[in-house]
Amino acid sequence: MNISRNDWPSALCQLNAAEIKQVAATLSRDIEVRDVVLPQTGLGLLSLTDGAFHEPFYLGEIPVARAEVILKIADGREVQGGTVLVDDRAQLARSIAILDAVLAGKLPGYEQAASLVERGNQMRIQNMSERRQMLAATRVDFSLLEQEDDEDAE
Amino acid sequence: MSYVAIKGGKAAIDGAAAATDYMRCMNAVDEPIKLSVIEDQLRLLTSRVVSEGGLYHPKLAALALKQFHGDTLEAAFALRAYRSTKPRLLETPLQDTSKMRCIRRISSAFKDIPGGQMLGATFDYALRLLRLDLANEDPAAFRLVAKNFLSNTPEADLPDSFPKVLDALRAEGLLPPVGAIREQAFDITRDSLVFPVPRSAALATMARAETGSLLAMAYSNMRGYGDVHPTVAELRVGYLPVMLPHPVTGELMEAGEVLMTECEVVAMYESGNAGDMPVFTLGYGACFGHNEVKAISMAILDRALQKGMRDGPDNPSEDPEFVLLHVDGVDSMGFASHYKMPHYVTFQSDMDRLRTTQGKVRKSGETA
Repeated sequence: MNISRNDWPSALCQLNAAEIKQVAATLSRDIEVRDVVLPQTGLGLLSLTDGAFHEPFYLGEIPVARAEVILKIADGREVQGGTVLVDDRAQLARSIAILDAVLAGKLPGYEQAASLVERGNQMRIQNMSERRQMLAATRVDFSLLEQEDDEDAE
Repeated sequence: MSYVAIKGGKAAIDGAAAATDYMRCMNAVDEPIKLSVIEDQLRLLTSRVVSEGGLYHPKLAALALKQFHGDTLEAAFALRAYRSTKPRLLETPLQDTSKMRCIRRISSAFKDIPGGQMLGATFDYALRLLRLDLANEDPAAFRLVAKNFLSNTPEADLPDSFPKVLDALRAEGLLPPVGAIREQAFDITRDSLVFPVPRSAALATMARAETGSLLAMAYSNMRGYGDVHPTVAELRVGYLPVMLPHPVTGELMEAGEVLMTECEVVAMYESGNAGDMPVFTLGYGACFGHNEVKAISMAILDRALQKGMRDGPDNPSEDPEFVLLHVDGVDSMGFASHYKMPHYVTFQSDMDRLRTTQGKVRKSGETA
């Protein structure tokens, strides 16, 4: 899989949450899962730099869900996983944190988790491609205006 | 103290709640509205609520609109009430809006802007004639609209984000330098406004202000009670990737994205200090969701307030106290609505005073 760890959550969030939870539950069934901190939901304050003077200000708040887990496999190896999402589902965040650990540690079931990420990434790419199509369809072609101006000048 | 506790209202209040739900459901042949329908098909309405509620949660905004029968003020109030029950987990690092994944981007300053102008979805060029065919829309035809649009539009080789128009003007030395202010931004959800307030407080207040209020104040400035007649350097609508530190690696990762509207306006140039080159003045507006009128109005007011903060206000829209204390929809709606509350004691007192005064006038008339 050629997708950076930093992009796994945004890829996984494209998929149905029930599927994510089910795969995470399956992959962690025979593994000890320890929560580093309990999965949390709450708010995050979104800070921006304004476009005129580049000064910081707060645009508003966003929902935030975060989870951090340690998976301990049979050979005693421990792998840490975590995520933070613009979302308000704590269990979804925990499931993605488990998949994050499975993928980062290449634990048993890695391939299944990787295929989920790849599928989610495809959906993400498709989504972005559709947005680009909308831009392309509405791109203003000023060259036509220039052509008319030229003709008028003649 | 001006209100009076009364007995016997509980049954009426319970009945009012039931009657309200009855009004929502009275046409039994209708289907209940799905939240996704509100979120998608009434997307601009949802946008108003996420920005005026100050919380980017389109699904809950759709729920609030459903619950309050489409009342944006009440819906924003409900979203604010919801947010007040949630803990604050984090503050994001400063996000860079030049990374916004645009779905619309225009400039009225230049026709040739780096990356080009793309109208996206807009009613700007639409005739304001009712489309009667939408009254009885065929579901099959409805489902084909998006499919046909995508299949008839070629794949586009465009970048994910675009440079800012202001950067080019700044490189030419036509704009003031970027601000030296790097102090902690003002958090209007934790601290109340005590004037004078920093610009970050003004921007945050306007970002969650009621659209109509902002528009009215900005319009007063545009029409004559002010001097801002701006040029829109850039107006963009798009999805801002929210970058947060990964809990394990600490590296910035994309935690999600937020739909937002952003507007930068250029207004009359001014000479700075003696010896400085004159440069254009600027205004900035931004809000959650797709709401162009709000972003433009905010940018105009930002420019007006900068002048008011520096030189003192010459008109209401340049007065930070006047603008910032009167643009919040939840505040102003609450004050207006509170007049519906029983004022029996205060009004009784008013009547007593009036009767006394009338009595005195009568008496003085008799003695005259």
